[in-house]
Amino acid sequence: MSLLTVSNLTKRYPRGGKSIAAVDDVSFHIDPGETLALAGPSGSGKSTIARLVLRLIEPDAGRIEFEDNDFLALSGASLRARRARLQTVFQDPLAAFNPRATVARVLDDPLRIHGIASRSERPRRIAALLERVGLAAELASRAIHEISGGQRQRVAIARAIATKPSLIVLDEAVSALDVSVRGQILHLLLDLQRQERIAYLFISHDLGVVRAVAHRVILLDAGRIAESGDARAVIDAPRSAIGKALLAAAPRLHRTRP
Amino acid sequence: MSRFRRFLRTPEAVAGAIILAALIAMALSASLLFPGDPQAIAGPALLPPFQDWSLPLGTDRLGRDVLAELFHGARTSLAVGLAAAAAALVVGSVVGTLAGFADGLVDEVLMRITEAFQTVPSFLLALAFVSVVGPSLGIVVIAIALGTWTGPARVARAEVLSIRERDYVASARAVGMHPLAIAFREVLPNALPPVLAMSSVIVAAAILTEAALSFLGLGDPNRVTWGGMIAEGRAVLRTAPFLSIVPGIALVLTVLGVYLAGEGVVETTAVRRGLS
Ligand SMILES: Nc1ncnc2c1ncn2[C@@H]1O[C@H](COP(=O)(O)OP(=O)(O)OP(=O)(O)O)[C@@H](O)[C@H]1O
Ligand SMILES: [Mg+2]
Repeated sequence: MSLLTVSNLTKRYPRGGKSIAAVDDVSFHIDPGETLALAGPSGSGKSTIARLVLRLIEPDAGRIEFEDNDFLALSGASLRARRARLQTVFQDPLAAFNPRATVARVLDDPLRIHGIASRSERPRRIAALLERVGLAAELASRAIHEISGGQRQRVAIARAIATKPSLIVLDEAVSALDVSVRGQILHLLLDLQRQERIAYLFISHDLGVVRAVAHRVILLDAGRIAESGDARAVIDAPRSAIGKALLAAAPRLHRTRP
Repeated sequence: MSRFRRFLRTPEAVAGAIILAALIAMALSASLLFPGDPQAIAGPALLPPFQDWSLPLGTDRLGRDVLAELFHGARTSLAVGLAAAAAALVVGSVVGTLAGFADGLVDEVLMRITEAFQTVPSFLLALAFVSVVGPSLGIVVIAIALGTWTGPARVARAEVLSIRERDYVASARAVGMHPLAIAFREVLPNALPPVLAMSSVIVAAAILTEAALSFLGLGDPNRVTWGGMIAEGRAVLRTAPFLSIVPGIALVLTVLGVYLAGEGVVETTAVRRGLS
């Protein structure tokens, strides 16, 4: 049984008098512990799918089943409780945190909201979370804007894993980081996946990264699925026009091809 | 500390701060320097200022000590001004945040109410409220706040509307935080700076409104107020103009001081925010 099943998902936005489908009849599934990548040109609907799956916006049509439940049927307190199992890491780690927050407060929120640890127990849990993502426990007292971009993204990952989710949506989660830091964060994500069997919905425009971390990939074009399949197979030899165009635009990958 | 130094380098702000400090000192020392009832008779009626050094600013029509009244009046002005402004800012921020954060019906209803309050001139609103409910210090505070909360509410709403689209609000939702907790813990504190920037104007206006109400005889009758003193002096304006002029000058200086000091604080903090 798959962890997440999305069927015929559609989201329209009004533009210039008519409505344009940002996501058009998209269906896919993710298995436990699996990484499914969404790739495609800018504006192809990747972030919209991420926000729909996270229930940050509502679809116009389609179904989302998560952990064998109708995810779209949830609302209010039951939806908030279920969010513990479905977490996210955003692209810009600075924008994703309250500018006034400290590291400790950011990590305290999920533990408190989902009743995971008592007040007295939380500082220890926060220290353990920081350690788990490779940060020093002393960082807890720092303000979010006082740590580096790479550290911030690690804190974002720590917040995401605090509630022991089964799926994390990563929307361009490594795109804003410079190359050496990106490698470390990807490594951390793979390590977490191996140990906790977390599934990822991994959104990236970088086919090299997708090929390295994803099991399967979906190529999107103007809100529709253009091509999908095994990540290496699709990226090494795309059949769709958009896949070929994306590959041609990725010079590093192109060069390594035989 | 550099913020404080920048404040000190602005002469208007320093002048405002000095006036404000003098006013606060007057309000705090009123019952020490002038114990007893400031409305009690202290000497001969209509004694001009600078004649008798035990009554330096002279006496009014009933022989009450003008200086004592001035000190006790500072207390009322400051208390009412600050309390009314604080009430307006709190109510305005809460209403604005709720309206901006809850879309649809709640926003619509709250903004209609805000507009309804805004269409009535705030002084008329205060006047009507006090004349219906009856004058007392608390009622005067509420009456003034009633006409002033709409400004902060609109500014807070506009700010919340822009903040709620930010990623960190989406993060808070994704974490499972309750919408009210998001509105008041995550969004409101970040929406406050432009709302607080209005506080100097609101305090100054509240002090003036209080004086105007008292002038019309709608102030708390058990307290000395500057507006009441001016009204008192009006009857003998030709023979003893100082009775109206002294509290009038105090009022003008106070409003000026509050405004200048407040603007100074806003300016220096805004500059700091702009640099960071
Ligand atoms: N709130 C919105 N209102 C109107 N149109 C929107 C909105 N959000 C997205 N769109 C439109 O939907 C389409 C898909 O946008 P989306 O953000 O999902 O693209 P994306 O694949 O994530 O692109 P990128 O790689 O640039 O992040 C775009 O055409 C965009 O303009
Ligand atoms: Mg995007």
